[in-house]
Amino acid sequence: MKALVSVKRAVDYNVRIQVKPDGSGVVTEGVKHSMNPFDEIAMEEAVRLKEKGKITEIIAITVGGAKNEETLRSALAFGADRAIHIKEEGEIQPLTAAKALAAAFKKEGAQVFFAGKQAIDDDANQTGQMVASLLDLPQATFASKVELDGNKATVTREVDAGLETLEVDLPAVITADLRLNEPRYLKLPDIMKAKKKPIDVQSFSSLGVTPGAGLKTTKTSAPPKRSKGIVVKTVDELVAALKGKGLL
Amino acid sequence: MNVAKDAMGLGLRVLNRFAGLKAVDKLGLRKPAEKAIFGASRAGFATVGAASRVFKSTQKLVQPARLTQRSGDGLFDLTPSEEQEMLRDSCRSFADEQLRPAALAADTACAATPELLASASELGIHLLGLPESLGGAGQERSAMTSVLVAEALAHGDLSLAVACLAPSAVSNALVLWGDSEQQSAYLPAFAGEKSPAAALAIQEPSALFDPFKLSVKARRTPDGYVLDGVKSLVPRAAQAELFIVAAHLEGRGPALFIVESSTAGLSIQAEPAMGLRAAATGRVVLDNVVLANRALLGNGSADIYATCISLARVGWCAVAVGTAQAALDYLVPYVNERVAFGEPISHRQAVAFTVANAAIEIEGMRLLTYRAASRAEQSKSFFEETALARRLCADKGMQIGSDAVQLLGGHGFVKEHPAERWYRDLRAVGFIEGVLLV
Repeated sequence: MKALVSVKRAVDYNVRIQVKPDGSGVVTEGVKHSMNPFDEIAMEEAVRLKEKGKITEIIAITVGGAKNEETLRSALAFGADRAIHIKEEGEIQPLTAAKALAAAFKKEGAQVFFAGKQAIDDDANQTGQMVASLLDLPQATFASKVELDGNKATVTREVDAGLETLEVDLPAVITADLRLNEPRYLKLPDIMKAKKKPIDVQSFSSLGVTPGAGLKTTKTSAPPKRSKGIVVKTVDELVAALKGKGLL
Repeated sequence: MNVAKDAMGLGLRVLNRFAGLKAVDKLGLRKPAEKAIFGASRAGFATVGAASRVFKSTQKLVQPARLTQRSGDGLFDLTPSEEQEMLRDSCRSFADEQLRPAALAADTACAATPELLASASELGIHLLGLPESLGGAGQERSAMTSVLVAEALAHGDLSLAVACLAPSAVSNALVLWGDSEQQSAYLPAFAGEKSPAAALAIQEPSALFDPFKLSVKARRTPDGYVLDGVKSLVPRAAQAELFIVAAHLEGRGPALFIVESSTAGLSIQAEPAMGLRAAATGRVVLDNVVLANRALLGNGSADIYATCISLARVGWCAVAVGTAQAALDYLVPYVNERVAFGEPISHRQAVAFTVANAAIEIEGMRLLTYRAASRAEQSKSFFEETALARRLCADKGMQIGSDAVQLLGGHGFVKEHPAERWYRDLRAVGFIEGVLLV
């Protein structure tokens, strides 16, 4: 069984994000990037399923500029067998990326499409769902447990009311939530071996995708600064303060 | 030009007349007036000199001329390769998430837990320097990569980094200098996911220890060698299955011997120290230890021995840089958050300057260490560079450790914070020899 795992290069979760002065986006120049943490979880799950013998081949895939090769190399170090790089510079819209990923999924004839539930940069939470719609496949998002059995997948997902268990026919789209697993440390020898694994370079045109422009970011601004708290001495003062703010 | 001169003369005359007036003294304007004359005349003469040059364009440019931009691979580009960055990042996450939280317990117990050492082994640190033909992951020799790995691990904890890296020192030495017989005997054991515990034993318990004047003696016998003496501060001595021991070979000079820990006459004594406690340091006592001919590493070459000592020192510099950086990374948020006298203590110059100096020194330590390692991996002479790096790392590492304790105030002294441990560990950098090998 072939699995396609989508990995995205995002600003590292440790970086303190700064908004560009002109409000056109956030500063990404000279900022540490790494694999989107939710994609790491998806990657780890695929590798574990391969170790259990449920998956035979893992293909990592990414959409984006030349620098995204780094992300693919970490995916290969994680345990992907090979990688596909849909090389396109500049801003890529979620729908365009989903179309390209869907086209690659079809081309590869894979059975499972894995991705993180969302990327930590734009929090769009769309790619998995869009890929499923474009290919008319069942989807199991926000997975906290995944079991593959023959041509079915049983996925437990975290919902507000508790846990929901779904059974989906394969091929299917599965997106990973935080508690699905804890990704391993990349083993140093695997990092060394990653550079020998093949990366197939594709483009929107080679996959027959026309980039769309349905979405435009009009403004990016930093969240408002938290104002300093006030100290109240008595309960009465607290009640009065809350009432003053219209909270009581 | 004449106009300029005349104008100046006129100005001076006016000023001089003004200075000659009695009223000037009365009004207390004597000094300022003299100053004004001096200043005016000096500026005036400078103007005369500058005004004598005439700028004329001798050629018309279609566009401005600039020097070309140099490509990035120049002398000062120290950016690690993409692969080195991945290796470093992985070690760094492991160090910060696994080593750091375990460090206090390991320091108290004078040993790292077997689980921790096993997970370090799983990370595959020991496979980096092992050739692929022997089941390792190494392709080309890179002292730089080893330095980055050691630095990243020591960011978690220096002693634990030493414990994790000790086996690699032995396998690296065997890869570098072992003959085919020695390699085939020992290296396959290092190829698996679980490397055997092993350590270099260079240090001796003597005053002013000099690795080139060893008191452990190796005597030549018809069948091999006999070793006698004591080695000290050997990491994981009690667990180690294999040692590489430095001994003075009679008639030759210092040399390296491969000694299995099961050899008759070899015994271990625990030797807990001020620092490096998690590395479980111990003494290796060699009492009439009989070794076969094949135990001598690298034919006892003096060059090989000197290279070994230098590579080990570079390794020590790397862990010093990592731990000093950890101290700085700990200090910066602390001094910004800790409030005394109504403001963060970083507002005090004494605190701010100390932190700034630490940052400068660490970068200096790092650059010297990288330079030594980089020359080593290019097979250029690196002894002098190593000596400089070692001196700076020893002095400043200790200083930064001490400053970290100081800036944390009362918190620095107690074990709740890691500063006191880092200080104790960083003290080792100045005198310890031959535990790591990059």
